[in-house]
Amino acid sequence: MKFEVSSSTLLKQLSAISGVITTNPIVPILENFLFQINKNKLTITASDLQTSIIAEMEINSNDSGSIAVPAKILIDTLKGLPDQPVTFLVDENTYGVELKSDNGQYKLSGENATDFPRVPAVNRAYTLEFSSDVLGRAIANTIFATSTDELRPAMTGVYIQLNENNATFVATDGHRLIRYRRDDAGTNTDLSVIIPRKALNLLKASLPSESTPVKMEFSNSNAFFSFNNIRMICRLIDERFPDYENAIPNNNPNRLSIGRVELLSSLRRISIYANRATNQVRLRIAKNDLLISAEDLDFSNEANEHLPCEYKGEDMEIGFNARFLIEMLNNLSSKTINIELSAPNRAGLITPDEREENEDILMLVMPVMLNNYA
Amino acid sequence: MRVAEENNLQPMRRIIHIDMDAFYASVEQRDFPTLRGKPVAVGGSRERGVVAAASYEARKFGVHSAMSSRKAYANCPHIVFVKPRFDVYKEVSLQIRSIFLEYTELVEPLSLDEAYLDVTANKKQLASARHTAQLIKDQIKLQTGLTASAGVSFNKFLAKTATDFQKPDGLTVITPKQAKEFIAKLPIDKFYGVGKVTAAKMQSLGIFSGADLMQWEEAALVKQFGKVGHFYYQISRAQDDRDVNPNRIRKSLGAESTFEVDLTDVDSVKEELARIALDVDGRINKHTAYGKTLTLKVKFSDFKQITRSKTVLFPITDHSSIMQIAYQLCDEIQWTKPVRLLGLSISGLNREIPFQNQQLSFPF
Repeated sequence: MKFEVSSSTLLKQLSAISGVITTNPIVPILENFLFQINKNKLTITASDLQTSIIAEMEINSNDSGSIAVPAKILIDTLKGLPDQPVTFLVDENTYGVELKSDNGQYKLSGENATDFPRVPAVNRAYTLEFSSDVLGRAIANTIFATSTDELRPAMTGVYIQLNENNATFVATDGHRLIRYRRDDAGTNTDLSVIIPRKALNLLKASLPSESTPVKMEFSNSNAFFSFNNIRMICRLIDERFPDYENAIPNNNPNRLSIGRVELLSSLRRISIYANRATNQVRLRIAKNDLLISAEDLDFSNEANEHLPCEYKGEDMEIGFNARFLIEMLNNLSSKTINIELSAPNRAGLITPDEREENEDILMLVMPVMLNNYA
Repeated sequence: MRVAEENNLQPMRRIIHIDMDAFYASVEQRDFPTLRGKPVAVGGSRERGVVAAASYEARKFGVHSAMSSRKAYANCPHIVFVKPRFDVYKEVSLQIRSIFLEYTELVEPLSLDEAYLDVTANKKQLASARHTAQLIKDQIKLQTGLTASAGVSFNKFLAKTATDFQKPDGLTVITPKQAKEFIAKLPIDKFYGVGKVTAAKMQSLGIFSGADLMQWEEAALVKQFGKVGHFYYQISRAQDDRDVNPNRIRKSLGAESTFEVDLTDVDSVKEELARIALDVDGRINKHTAYGKTLTLKVKFSDFKQITRSKTVLFPITDHSSIMQIAYQLCDEIQWTKPVRLLGLSISGLNREIPFQNQQLSFPF
């Protein structure tokens, strides 16, 4: 079996999908790309069993057949080559792969393609379509708040809830929660699924920069995404997502309005002085004045800043993990943001003051209990 | 097994008291060679704070723990102040404790750097308590690079008193035969549990040594000193039946200060409280014990004493929370008379590490 392909075009496709390959896969063959050649079409598959990504591209070949090729060696080789047509020769008996370039030749030992795990096929799925910008924005706005705690698998992914009016994306790690809602993405069927963080990260990385329709299909256990020449299949998280709606307070009496960038910059400076482990900052809020402070008793570091704000409510002192606040504020674009609070041990609710078209973002964050809160 | 002399028919206990020499300061000198040979104070700074520990070089200048660092600086202008690294001290403390546990399960830690061991029936079947104490000291030296002083005797009081007799790197044994003579000769201010104030009172009563103390009737001592009078009566006779209790936890810890000149305004009261709070904070760290109740004790110039306490939701773990609560208590008191003494203590102690600055979670 033999085929010819541009080294840079192949590298581009391999790089787009190689993120799914883990360094120590359960099945060693998953350190390989699966190459399936059908005349002028090459289908490349990379997988970690949970998630598989498939790219298709044009090649020059008269043959058909399959081979598993070691991913790292192949990518490293292509990276080092100047752009040129390269020829692959595959010995189907020994699984030897020979790569020929103007510079020389490279021999890799491939593996039997039939050992490569089967990628599930779309089966009795429910289909809908999102634009890549909407999907990319929804992922970017939520994924950072997912949990890495494998003991709470439901929270290690983003919860997607679809109904006829809107599409809602929710992520939480138990301490903060993001609800990202689009009212331009309704569907005619109610559906809710949890998609693993890793799959969404890979999807986000491979989505094209120009707006492209992304076809999404959901079966009972898998999600399928396809756009351009890429397909991604991932296993859904088969767990019940926490009942997050109940955690959203709906009548927080105290309301703070403040410049987002000003608050963000201040938090970045103050958090330098916070305890490394807790990242705790203290917000003391009084009428039109926000005092942000942090101290690290172990090193006798402390810092504070005053920021002008608009505040309606009782004077309050509340602690937060600065990293959480910074990540949240970073993901908003509004000039002004609102923070609604009720008590130093209740969730704070952050919303942008100006809404982007068709977008509804709500962020919740639980406080850090200040230990001198008597 | 040897049997204690005279009327005591119980098998004689063999108790070792071990105390690390200038613990915090020695750890600092061990880890930072530039500090070696220099007067070092752990805790405080030139301007404020309290010395948590002083190296032997600093002690020559009269610097000791719980001294205000301003005074330490005045006594010894070339003293080096270093920040305490409690994590390191706790680590070393655990190392030492595991050495103790190689010899006996009956280990009663008094603080990070001090413990009682009952080695009467020890795991290594060693017959001599002196030999055991020497082995432990050697092992500590080998594993931590630090020296300890040890006292060996047949009860806790004598073991502790023996340790104090020779420091640093000391090993003192008080045998049952020597005990009474040892105590008789011991100056009253060297008795464990007899502080500066009590010592002055004893001396005013004509008690300057153990021999003098022994002359007193139990009832008379109780009348003079209250409940602790019973203890003084016992120890003057070298009697102390307290067991080495591996599970003992103190009920409270605190610090207080009597002023040479009575305080007459609230500002100076608050200033002194801040200083005392630093000391309490140091003790919390030293004993790794946390409580939720803070008590403020005030003695006025007419010797009338009041206490006010407050219990909070979370363990009190640092200086700023001690201060915050102390100030609240301060505001509840009518400051109409000059203040002679102030004290702060934390009670309801627990050894569990408190959930400090806990990140709260959603209820799901």
